[in-house]
Amino acid sequence: MEPILTIQGLKKQYSAGTWGLNGIELTVQPGEFIAVIGPSGAGKSTLLRCMNRLIEPTEGSVTFLGEDVVHANKRQLRSIRARMGMIFQHYNLVYRSSVLENVLHGRLGYIGSLAGMLGRYPEADKEEAIALLQKVGLENEVYKRADELSGGQKQRVGVCRALAQKPSLILADEPIASLDPKSSKTVMDAIHTNCREQEIACLVNLHQVDYAKAYATRIVGIKAGRVVFDGPVEQLTSDITQYLYEGQEHEMFHKAAI
Amino acid sequence: MAVRKIPIAHKATQRQQRMLGISSLLLLGISLYCADLDMKQIAAGMERLPAIGRQLAQLSFTNGGELLRELVTSIVVAFLSVILGVVAALFLAFLVAANTTPNRLFGRVLNAVFVIIRTIPTTIWVLLAVASMGFGPMAGVLGLMFPTVSYLIRTFASQIEEAGGETIEAIRSVGGTWWHVIAKGLLPTLLTAFMATTAFRFEISVAESVILGMVGAGGIGSLLQGYISYYQFADLSLGILMVFFTMFLLEMGTVQIRKRMGRQN
Repeated sequence: MEPILTIQGLKKQYSAGTWGLNGIELTVQPGEFIAVIGPSGAGKSTLLRCMNRLIEPTEGSVTFLGEDVVHANKRQLRSIRARMGMIFQHYNLVYRSSVLENVLHGRLGYIGSLAGMLGRYPEADKEEAIALLQKVGLENEVYKRADELSGGQKQRVGVCRALAQKPSLILADEPIASLDPKSSKTVMDAIHTNCREQEIACLVNLHQVDYAKAYATRIVGIKAGRVVFDGPVEQLTSDITQYLYEGQEHEMFHKAAI
Repeated sequence: MAVRKIPIAHKATQRQQRMLGISSLLLLGISLYCADLDMKQIAAGMERLPAIGRQLAQLSFTNGGELLRELVTSIVVAFLSVILGVVAALFLAFLVAANTTPNRLFGRVLNAVFVIIRTIPTTIWVLLAVASMGFGPMAGVLGLMFPTVSYLIRTFASQIEEAGGETIEAIRSVGGTWWHVIAKGLLPTLLTAFMATTAFRFEISVAESVILGMVGAGGIGSLLQGYISYYQFADLSLGILMVFFTMFLLEMGTVQIRKRMGRQN
């Protein structure tokens, strides 16, 4: 099967001598749900942001659906980003806009500057956005202002925004790190169910190993900017997690609850 | 029996304080010498003070209408310069702010230009405008616009840099254009902060516009200048009172606006 995403020799240098990523190799097949685990500062967020070039990689290649991401020009990059949804740890909503408007932002990659600025979204997009909100249980919040919602609700709006893009791949950067256990489960379920149904591949950075084991089809362990584990959930032994979080064991149990 | 006193001060600090005291005294001496203050002039002025005070205490309402008209002119000049300034700054601030500028170097050069504009006092700008356009409110609007625009750009840009990060990431990640980031992400987020800044700037601009009338920018300042020149203290005191109440009300108003806008954040 043609992979959705191929990463080869990806490196990111922050300042002289500081490498955020140090030669990442990774292939994502259609429909995979991959959890990226590793201690803080291992490079998980940098990795995800290099996929859609919110951070510019220093070296290496990223291929998305056969297109070269690293050398894409402005227009190509927009189109690549439009087909890659992203979910953020801090939700990154526009809090003064309505919930519906925030979901419709997912459509901005498909419409022109002027139409977007004037908020001229196609009616069909609006209907789909409302349907998405209903699906995650926010049907009563459609016209609320985003800052009126609770954390878990905000993140579900973030999930809907990513889904509104009709992406082939979703990048989720610590989507539940700021949430309580109950909201965490709702949000993870929303991401998982929708990705399954719509055959969207998903790369999700997770802090909590138990969540990774519960949802992922495959686990990638990152340490000091390198992939040190890549395999199915069953192969992730406690020895490996031990090694991943060596010296930072406290993080493994941090907020560990499911 | 003589008791030896135990020193308590920190030696280095004491030395520094002594140096500071000596150099301040020295500077004071030099300044007094350079300023060439004439004691006789001071004494003569002191003698005239009660007379001036008595004259100021009399209010004359004969020129009230004219004063009111010119006061409105002053406010209108400030208002126009702020409105035009906001329109220009809203666009330019996004070009200057480090996280939204389309080109880092361009942003920095533009910023440097506005830093230079800011360092030149408003009075100079108005005098330049008067020199090129002649006396009147138009010169005031134009002269006030330069410092207003550069002040607003600096404040807006730092607000964008402070609050923009996450919103910018979000809109970029969905494939939005620069215009989408500005119009759909940043403007809704920062609108109230921008409005509070604008209200504050309007207050400053009215104060400046009143003074700038004295150098030919039109408005109540030119009337006050005339009253002082011709010793019409009774008219002057009415003018001063009117300016005082205007500024007082304005400050009350802008404080309210800033409070409300701030609370919504």
